[in-house]
Amino acid sequence: MRRAFVIVSTVLLVVFALQFVFAAVGAFTRPQGDSSYALHSLTGMAVIPALCILTTLSAVLAKAPGRLIAMTLLPLGLTLVQALLAALSGAFTDAAGGSTTVGLIVGGLHAVNGIIAVHVVVGIVRAASRFAQPATASITPKSSSTVGGAA
Amino acid sequence: MSAGSLIAADLVVAVLVSAGWLGAGGAAAAGRGRVALGLGLFALLATVVRAVTVVALARAGWWFAAEKVLIAGPFAVAGVAVAAPSLVRRRAAAVPLLFAGYTSIAGLLVSLLHGYPVSVGAGLLAAAGVLAATVATWRFVGPRPSRRVFRAAVLASVAALVAGTGFAVSPGSPSGAGHAHIAPSGAGHAHIAPSGAGHAHTAPSGAGHAHTAPPASVGRGTATVVGKPARRFTLTAATATVNVNGRNVQAWTFNGQVPGPEISATVGDVIEVTLRNKDIDRGVTLHWHGYDVPNDQDGVPGVTQEAVLPGHEFVYRFRADQPGTYWYHTHSASDIGVRKGLYGVLLVHPATSEVDSDVVVPVHTLDGVVLPAPEEAAVPAGTPVRLRLINTDSTTHRYAPGGSYRVAAIDGRELRDPPTVSGTALLIPAGGRYDVVMTAPAALTVDGRLLWSAGGATAAPDGWPVLDPLTYGQSAPGPFARFDRTFTLVLDRGLDLRGLLPRYAHTVNGAADPDIPVQSVRLGDVVRFRIVNRSLVVHPWHLHGYHVLVLSRNGRPATGSPLWLDSFDVRPGEVWEVAFQADNPGMWANHCHNLPHADAGMMLHLMVSG
Repeated sequence: MRRAFVIVSTVLLVVFALQFVFAAVGAFTRPQGDSSYALHSLTGMAVIPALCILTTLSAVLAKAPGRLIAMTLLPLGLTLVQALLAALSGAFTDAAGGSTTVGLIVGGLHAVNGIIAVHVVVGIVRAASRFAQPATASITPKSSSTVGGAA
Repeated sequence: MSAGSLIAADLVVAVLVSAGWLGAGGAAAAGRGRVALGLGLFALLATVVRAVTVVALARAGWWFAAEKVLIAGPFAVAGVAVAAPSLVRRRAAAVPLLFAGYTSIAGLLVSLLHGYPVSVGAGLLAAAGVLAATVATWRFVGPRPSRRVFRAAVLASVAALVAGTGFAVSPGSPSGAGHAHIAPSGAGHAHIAPSGAGHAHTAPSGAGHAHTAPPASVGRGTATVVGKPARRFTLTAATATVNVNGRNVQAWTFNGQVPGPEISATVGDVIEVTLRNKDIDRGVTLHWHGYDVPNDQDGVPGVTQEAVLPGHEFVYRFRADQPGTYWYHTHSASDIGVRKGLYGVLLVHPATSEVDSDVVVPVHTLDGVVLPAPEEAAVPAGTPVRLRLINTDSTTHRYAPGGSYRVAAIDGRELRDPPTVSGTALLIPAGGRYDVVMTAPAALTVDGRLLWSAGGATAAPDGWPVLDPLTYGQSAPGPFARFDRTFTLVLDRGLDLRGLLPRYAHTVNGAADPDIPVQSVRLGDVVRFRIVNRSLVVHPWHLHGYHVLVLSRNGRPATGSPLWLDSFDVRPGEVWEVAFQADNPGMWANHCHNLPHADAGMMLHLMVSG
């Protein structure tokens, strides 16, 4: 199960990386339209949340320490914030639908929040790998949970 | 602060509250006591700010705050009551802080997924989520509670889940009340020509559907039996490659061009338009946007007629008796259809015209290119010009006429004593039309791009104030002394689980098309609509078959010329009251003219029965 935790969290990291690619695809699609970011929004609103929940689930099933499980919940929260930032950026437009300074700042935070989320996922993958390694060598679960707890 | 900004600000504060509590809980679980205390105090402060924003929203209108007071409010109180003692004792405990985080997240999710109307089901499901998350947290983080407390929490969570689901799916709940069955009233007389090569030259008389119209459709006197057509047009819908501003674009066209041919007539004419479909697989119809025709000519597929499929045709016939600027477009697969080019201009000229030069500017974005192409017109100085500004896109455009001008008409209805203005921009909603009268030299900029000029130029129109039609022109006493029916439409977003796939729909009163109940009135009723925008985006509202008189916006009565509109922008946080006399019988579409929004559920119907 610890291996599954490593695998699922790694898949989450890969999808997060892909998400940046999809954002670029949206930004460079011509002409710009409602559907430019379809891939990015689908991944962000369906695939990533599902993988986040799977990661938490696999952490729970692998009997990871509470702290690590709590950490796996963070990407889900950040993804929710991410969707809200995108919607809010759209809300702060002028009457004709043009960008405003506030809207662009909120839009910028969308990128910052994305970077933070990736760092959190990198941390989870590392912690999951450390948690999985001693498991193969250790005999008692007690020792492994101490190692995991120190992660 | 406008109610629209308040809605956005409240959302931001709600996110900060949740992030604060969850961050504090996480820090406490990680043994970072001081960080946890700091974040907890931040969350507490943000909760106080949230109380202020919610009260301000409630003052702007109960629709904006209902679920925040009735569901998120008690949740927040419970969260603070549980978390605050640990803050006061300066000993951060993970579970109480996380519980506060779950309550604030749950409140936020209720607002985002099913905010209006307040539903017991949503509240119970949220409570189930909070309890389940708390139980799971107890299981893995911090000291475990006594077995009894633990079991009670699990039990309460399951009970809330079952009850919440019950309320959510029971037929009595507002979201479960789908009984909209809309039969095409015109199905019996849709004029379908034999398919194949024959349709090209065997133009049917078109009289068939006019004579077999049910009695309900014979609304406006002689409107349906309109007499001998004086102006005949044939529109053939087909895919084609069109050249726009030097670029080839794959478009859907009427007669191979974008926009389609201009249909113009003079008051007193009878217009007959034969619509043929060559190869638009999703079907086409013609809707006369803003032109109030009898119901069976309105062109709404599945409601007033069947969509015209490839190889078929339909004949529209109506009297030109409403002078003004209008446009036509397909209402079948309308989002993609209009966007790809199935639209054109409809003009009805008065018997006598006061201006020499008449310029039509139907703004459209075709595959990223703005139409029409910029034009330099040769108009002698001193000549009056009537610029007919049309917005055929799904979003608002900003028109800046350079020079002094007056807005003679909006949505095809003349304004009363419009004053001359200059250095003022016009915001025309999706589907809306403004007739602007200027004297050459003159110019027109749309969204900062010079689209038309006659020896004039516009200097830096970016900072211009925007004309508010509600305070423009001379007022006149309103025609309505009483209202027989009042409907409130609350526009929002919400989770729609009634289709095959769940979707984040654009909703009206918490429901999405086709599950929004039909609103019924009797012929002759004076009907008032109150339209409330709870969402974060603009919704250009468009009722078919009628022009509506604007009564008030945000509680302030319209003080300018009587405004009879068919398309008006309801911005976030705005409340519009409009009224009309239901004198045009039939089943009328009533929807957001941001067509992707209409596709995503923001469409309902008004039944006017005799």
